[in-house]
Amino acid sequence: MSALERLLEMAGRPFGPGKPLHRFHALFEAADTFALTPPSVTKGSTHVRDALDLKRMMMLVVIALMPCIFMAMYNTGLQANLGIDPAKIASLEGWRHDVMRFAGMGYSPESVVACIFHGSLYFLPLYILTMAVGGTWEVLFAIVRRHEVNEGFFVTGMLFPLICPPTLPLWEAALGISFGVVVAKEVFGGTGMNFVNPALAARAFVFFAYPGDISGDQVWAAVAPAAAIDGYSGATLLGQMRQMTTPFDEQGLSWWNAFIGLEKGSLGETSALACLLGAIFLVVTRVGSWRTMVGCVAGTAAMAILLNAIGSATNPWFAVPFWWHMVLGGWAFGVAFMATDPVTSPFAETGKLIYGFLIGALVVLIRVVNPAYPEAMMLVILFMNVMAPLIDYFFVKANIDRRKRRGGGHGEA
Amino acid sequence: MAKLESPRYTFLFATAVCVVCALMVSVAAVSLQPRQKASARLYMEKNVLIAAGLAKPGQDVEIGEVEKYFEKDIKARLVDLATGELLPEGKVDARAYDQRAARRDPGTSRAAPPNNAGIGRLPKYGVAYFVMKGGQVEQVVIAIEGLGMWGTVYGFLALDRDGITVRGLTYYDQKETPGLGGEIGNPAWQALWKGRHAYDSAGLPAIVVIKGQAGPPDKDPFRVDGMSGATITSNAITRLTRFWLSDDGYGKFLKRFREKGLA
Amino acid sequence: MNKHNREALLGPLLANNPIGVQVLGICSALAVTTRIDKALVMTAGVLVVTLLANVAVSLVRNHTPGSIRIIVQLSIIASLVIVFDQILKATLYELSLELSVFVGLIITNCIVMGRAEGYAMQNPPLASALDGIGNGLGYGLVLVLTGFIRELLGAGKVFGFVVLPLAKDGGWYVPNGMMLLAPSALFIIAGLIWLLKTVKPELQDKE
Repeated sequence: MSALERLLEMAGRPFGPGKPLHRFHALFEAADTFALTPPSVTKGSTHVRDALDLKRMMMLVVIALMPCIFMAMYNTGLQANLGIDPAKIASLEGWRHDVMRFAGMGYSPESVVACIFHGSLYFLPLYILTMAVGGTWEVLFAIVRRHEVNEGFFVTGMLFPLICPPTLPLWEAALGISFGVVVAKEVFGGTGMNFVNPALAARAFVFFAYPGDISGDQVWAAVAPAAAIDGYSGATLLGQMRQMTTPFDEQGLSWWNAFIGLEKGSLGETSALACLLGAIFLVVTRVGSWRTMVGCVAGTAAMAILLNAIGSATNPWFAVPFWWHMVLGGWAFGVAFMATDPVTSPFAETGKLIYGFLIGALVVLIRVVNPAYPEAMMLVILFMNVMAPLIDYFFVKANIDRRKRRGGGHGEA
Repeated sequence: MAKLESPRYTFLFATAVCVVCALMVSVAAVSLQPRQKASARLYMEKNVLIAAGLAKPGQDVEIGEVEKYFEKDIKARLVDLATGELLPEGKVDARAYDQRAARRDPGTSRAAPPNNAGIGRLPKYGVAYFVMKGGQVEQVVIAIEGLGMWGTVYGFLALDRDGITVRGLTYYDQKETPGLGGEIGNPAWQALWKGRHAYDSAGLPAIVVIKGQAGPPDKDPFRVDGMSGATITSNAITRLTRFWLSDDGYGKFLKRFREKGLA
Repeated sequence: MNKHNREALLGPLLANNPIGVQVLGICSALAVTTRIDKALVMTAGVLVVTLLANVAVSLVRNHTPGSIRIIVQLSIIASLVIVFDQILKATLYELSLELSVFVGLIITNCIVMGRAEGYAMQNPPLASALDGIGNGLGYGLVLVLTGFIRELLGAGKVFGFVVLPLAKDGGWYVPNGMMLLAPSALFIIAGLIWLLKTVKPELQDKE
């Protein structure tokens, strides 16, 4: 028995059944299993509809997110450093810049270390806060419901900061994640029972509650207007393209830049490359469904090609090819990490193809036709989350019908 | 119970209910109609006062106060939009004129020429309010409308007696996104229009809502600050304002007004 | 006031609240609760219509042929709603513009129809009147509470008076824009129902 084990066992005594602190057993359990593998591991399904060991899945998703996290820190710092006029650095205010000066990092866009350092000052507070606030809700509900705190939140807590703009005020993020955890997940019974993705629900809350801080041009790069270089525009690529007045071919935009993701945007969403790496990892480890991803790609391609063919004299968006749609906005991140969430996608394997296809098709349709929502990925995935049980219903029904026919019409439904 | 279910009784009972209900509804509708019309007019005229800067938005204006303004200082006149000429006073009561209803009625409207402001039909007559001071026209207020992002936006635009400088603006009916495009209803944003020029030196509608911030009116006369995160609404406002300033809207009238005044 | 009548008046306030327990009249509750004054006018409309419709239906209940009773109730309710709408347009024009179709839609408000058919058809006029008032108030209670929360959080105001000065006007409060959109009412009403059923566990659905 190691010293840690002994310590935890001793600390755990007052939390045992019948002991004074038993009500707070969940707290102890969380600390205990975080440090040591619990003696009682999950058997059978932990999700309502998905038999996957939660711990394994959590770790694998977090590993898959690593490229995105790296890009979140590097690119956020890079975009900020590119936008800041070196001559005006002295005018920068706030604790982040105090830390920057204290560390003597400087604001050079050429220095990878300086960029990562600057970016981490945006990513880490958001991440720590998300984990603290979301975790508090998890523990509260675990105590009230007398069950164990489970690990599902580690993924949500990692996903949420990555889909926020870097300048999102922290208190808004705290409100958002509270909404995501409580309303989208806990009131429906907790991890595995949620019918929409909690991280996306959290973002949707912020999107509708504080639209000024999550849309528009000012929020995507951490550059204070007072210190910005002349002619600086904070618009994302998607935002710039929204303003297109001339045909798409004449824009002269670089697809490779967009693919690698050295663009302004939500923290972890800009790099399609990082998302692709994560997606490959998820498929290889079988945590994420390749069917969902293939469905999304096919749906995006089909709808984009259709709209290319229809064409429009007034709306240059019609001409945007599908490989462009896939590197813009939250498409890649959504396909790799949001659409594949096993709890909120359909259970039927072929259903996942259809589910993915509809996500891909709807995203392109809304981007092109609805001017109100330049980025549709979040809302489309939430919408299809709601539709997922319906897709399952049709597959189950089709299955029953098929068996009935096979049994000569005498089968019991 | 047998009596209750006989067809004859059922028919009589139904007739009685219908007569009583119909009576109730028609008495209410007929007796309240004058007050409804007065309320509707008061509401419009209050917004004219707001556009002209004579009343503060959100402030309760007494019916008597509005009346006082419109009896003394404000003259409502109808403009033939096609020719730009004012209708003779007294021919039609301009204060009772309902431009929205007129636009819907095929007898008093025509299909609008192709435009990008989302305007389908144009009324034959548009209303214009002249704010007078000491027998002189101080401001002229015109009604504007057009498609925003979510629906039609209605408002009034007040121009100086030079027919060029914007004196005020209000949108009294709009369904833009609260917090983003909905800011067009914010008096602070509307105040940004004050002092800007609606027309350039060639007499063409030039005012534009830009993305980002514009300079002060004396240095940056044609541009108005855009609303952050509401490009679509901003562009729609530019289009609909320019439409009503153009010759399809009040353009011809305003040109005459600039050249000859009220004559 | 005897027990039956007291029950008719007070029951719908909490224990049998039309929105909180019977979950009726939700559609209008979503649309008219962005401000308290809108919620109050809507409450007044539903209260007056439910009250008068209940009394009228109760008065003719023993003379109404069963085969046309629903249509009789509808005619009465529809007429009352139109009259209320006309009065509103004549007196509170601005509010009537903002309430727009939802006043007219009181006709289809399940609460009014439900009380006429479910209560007034079996009970004498006085009890029916009290039931109408009770249901109107029960509906209004939820509406005003929801309106209060939405107006306070969405615009920083209560009854149009600034309570939380907005950041854009130099204060500190950043309004929650979602509170001005209809879905927020769904969350708030769900929260109120949750609260009600936690306080009164006997209202919880049996599993």
